[in-house]
Amino acid sequence: MKTTYLFPHRFKKIGWLVFVPFAIISLLSLFIDLELDVLTVPVFCFIESGLMSGKPTYFGIIENNITNEILMIVLIISGLLVAFSREKIEDEMVEKIRLDSLVWATYFNYTLLLIAILFLYESSFFTAMSVNIASLLLFFIIRFNWMLYKTNKLSSDEE
Amino acid sequence: MKNNVKVQRAIANITQAELAEKIGVSRQTINAIEAGKYVPSTVLALKIAKLFEKSVNEIFELEATD
Repeated sequence: MKTTYLFPHRFKKIGWLVFVPFAIISLLSLFIDLELDVLTVPVFCFIESGLMSGKPTYFGIIENNITNEILMIVLIISGLLVAFSREKIEDEMVEKIRLDSLVWATYFNYTLLLIAILFLYESSFFTAMSVNIASLLLFFIIRFNWMLYKTNKLSSDEE
Repeated sequence: MKNNVKVQRAIANITQAELAEKIGVSRQTINAIEAGKYVPSTVLALKIAKLFEKSVNEIFELEATD
């Protein structure tokens, strides 16, 4: 049985190697200013709302520090690789664990988001939304690998 | 669903790992099937039955709760 929409197994390791450091750096960047001045460059934008300058830009060039952009892009892509690379033996039980974990992670993520909507305001809510960019992936990765680990442990006592 | 894969495996004298390899799944899956924690797909049940040269009904059985 072939599962569609999964990356080859070898991408999982590459994903981990990038995802872990970038997850830590991204988490830190929520609390401390990690913007590197050298990364302030002109970029093309669809829309810039012009909150600072007072006039919005549509489909034009603006100045922007791209530290966030780099962090988020690398985090999301490496997270996708970790989450959706095939296991060494991707059989039907792994598929089931994968699906169950994805459902679980989605419920968990949206439960936290509902709590954030209810109880966090202004910049705290903005921080929560920033975390939400990668949190579904993170919860899925944790849940899926935990369930796999439990299955492996269960079956390590073969005669 | 109940099954007697473990018995069939003992009769055929093969390990979980060997059975797993022959039908193209992980050893963990065979273990979970034997422990009744995972219900295999029809394709996988047919593969197991074919390997032991039995009919699916001789290996897998419905339970009252199914």
